[in-house]
Amino acid sequence: MADGPSGRKPEPTPVGGDLIIPVAAVVFTLYYFSTIIDSPFEAQAAAFFIGSILIALILVLLIKVGRELLTGRASLGLGELGEPRRVVPKRLALFALAVAYLVVLPWLGFTLTTFLFLGGAMLLLGEGRRPGFVLGLAGALALIGWLAFIVAFETRFPEGPVEWLLSGLV
Amino acid sequence: MELDLFASLFAHTLGFWWVILPAIVLGLVVGAIPGFSAANTIIILLPLTLAVDVEIGLVFMVALYCSSRMGAGIPAILVNIPGTAGAAATPLDGYPMTKAGRGQQALAMSFVASTAGGLLTTLVALFAMPYLVRVAYHLHSVEMIVVMLFGISLIASIAARDTLKGLIAGMFGLMIGSIGADHVYATPRGTMGFLELYDGVPLIPALVGLFAISEAFLVIEGESILSARGRAMITSGWGPTFEGTRIALSRWWHIVWTSLIGLVIGIVPGAGASIASFVAYQQSRFFSKTPEAYGTGHPEGLIAPESANNGVTAGTLIPLLTLGIPGGATAAIMLVVMQYHGVVLGPRLFAMQPEIGYGVIMAMFVTYLIMILTILPLSRYMSRVTMVSTTYMAPSIIAFTLIGSFVPREYLFDMYLGLAFGVIGYVARKTGYHVAAILIGVILGPLLEQYFLRALRIAEGDFMVIFSSTIGNVLWVLLVISVAGPYLFDHLRRRRDAPAAAE
Repeated sequence: MADGPSGRKPEPTPVGGDLIIPVAAVVFTLYYFSTIIDSPFEAQAAAFFIGSILIALILVLLIKVGRELLTGRASLGLGELGEPRRVVPKRLALFALAVAYLVVLPWLGFTLTTFLFLGGAMLLLGEGRRPGFVLGLAGALALIGWLAFIVAFETRFPEGPVEWLLSGLV
Repeated sequence: MELDLFASLFAHTLGFWWVILPAIVLGLVVGAIPGFSAANTIIILLPLTLAVDVEIGLVFMVALYCSSRMGAGIPAILVNIPGTAGAAATPLDGYPMTKAGRGQQALAMSFVASTAGGLLTTLVALFAMPYLVRVAYHLHSVEMIVVMLFGISLIASIAARDTLKGLIAGMFGLMIGSIGADHVYATPRGTMGFLELYDGVPLIPALVGLFAISEAFLVIEGESILSARGRAMITSGWGPTFEGTRIALSRWWHIVWTSLIGLVIGIVPGAGASIASFVAYQQSRFFSKTPEAYGTGHPEGLIAPESANNGVTAGTLIPLLTLGIPGGATAAIMLVVMQYHGVVLGPRLFAMQPEIGYGVIMAMFVTYLIMILTILPLSRYMSRVTMVSTTYMAPSIIAFTLIGSFVPREYLFDMYLGLAFGVIGYVARKTGYHVAAILIGVILGPLLEQYFLRALRIAEGDFMVIFSSTIGNVLWVLLVISVAGPYLFDHLRRRRDAPAAAE
């Protein structure tokens, strides 16, 4: 292997992250095959055709990555996936807030939950700066959402205390 | 004779400006919001379109359809979130332009390409309708398999930096697209026990998750979606709008041929704007002298998909008007409205009711004409979105796109699905698997299976049926050339350059 300009060996490229999608694809494809194994031919044909090509492609990738690992040109590090480090906690917290938004939505209703999510996420990302502005903006956006989706388009979002109050007022 | 008819129809349709203008505004809004397609909105407004005169109803629907197609490109360019799957190829070069501080210019370019493409294809449709419809007669299941595979082969080209990853992403998308009950026996496959997946994977949560949610998790890395260079480059005033218009008009030939690709693909029922825009993008890069510039904010990479997906709008109406076969969801709803009003579709329509037959296409022409005058000045103000801090933008993107996931089917499950696709999209983006490749796989999965099974049934299970048609075989050859061509050219270019470098 060629050394770097300074004479030192170059850092191995982290490829662990590159394997997440292929591994997920293989697991899903095998699960998919398990659901059609006893099905009629018509239900199997296209999936076996596509799945086989997918697995073959992933095998080629694994061989390529395996060779790089063996020669020391690559490592199993996650690379870009966990970068930049300072944002990772915020990103995880934002994801947790999004999950909480969906979990709470059926109980608190569309408008209140949207307000809480927007307010919480904006305060999180802004590190608590300008709380008055953030809460005002979140409230305005939630109300616009209520007007557009529930009043104008009559979408059947879960209703909560705010919807009951507003429908009483309107 | 026909010219007289078209001239009087043009004047007559212009008289409906009061219907066209509000439809344009509504179309731009619903096109820009993922989850609100033109088809959904027309369904919601069906009582209105059925109640008014058939001409007014049709003009309204056509105007809404065209403007929503253009509206879908706006968030694709500004925040990397296509409003519909038809605009999924738009951010490939549109978003890098925005990040470089050229959002206003990119919007102007997109508006000019869309309207010029739309105007040209409606004109072609008006004069060539009887001949163009024959395309649809010749495309059966075998030919459609190749057309679909053409779409899939683009995946490798789209992710040209690593073709293998592009293919894996596309095939993974196809597997995800195969989720759901099979077409013949309704056997549930890969549904993980969720009843909500029996009808297949809904496209809006996939689109929203792969593009919008993943983007929201990415943009929080900076204060703004603009790069440092982009912030320095950004200029105010009308300059970028004029410059974008000039750049688009100087590439008029590019607009012509890519919009014609859209028109022809639009005629094929079921093919749609998503395939057309990717085919146009790939062909544009294939014939370009600077293919390496694609994906970095290259004007032609933005013009090609926008011209093509607006070319599709005229194309989808051709089989509807001449055969009574709708080319897409919106055309299917128009069919319902026309049948309700007693309009008989088919060749006789143009002889018996030319004001309806040609009038629909003329309404499209007039809409594009009005649209360019009204929307181009807005590019200056729309591009301000890029200045909004990610502190406020990222939560808004997540909340409103998850809400968009809920709208089409009204299942909370679809919001969870959108978030799950967001995680897949985030990992894919960070590790070099193109999200557009996964999305096009999800879109094409069910279609490919449908045509594959139909062909196998006709041939009584003989796999060789896919090479049994002359048109199909020509398409196979073109497909191989299209995939292998760039590598071949690249190889030849390197061989040619090698001696020069050695000297």
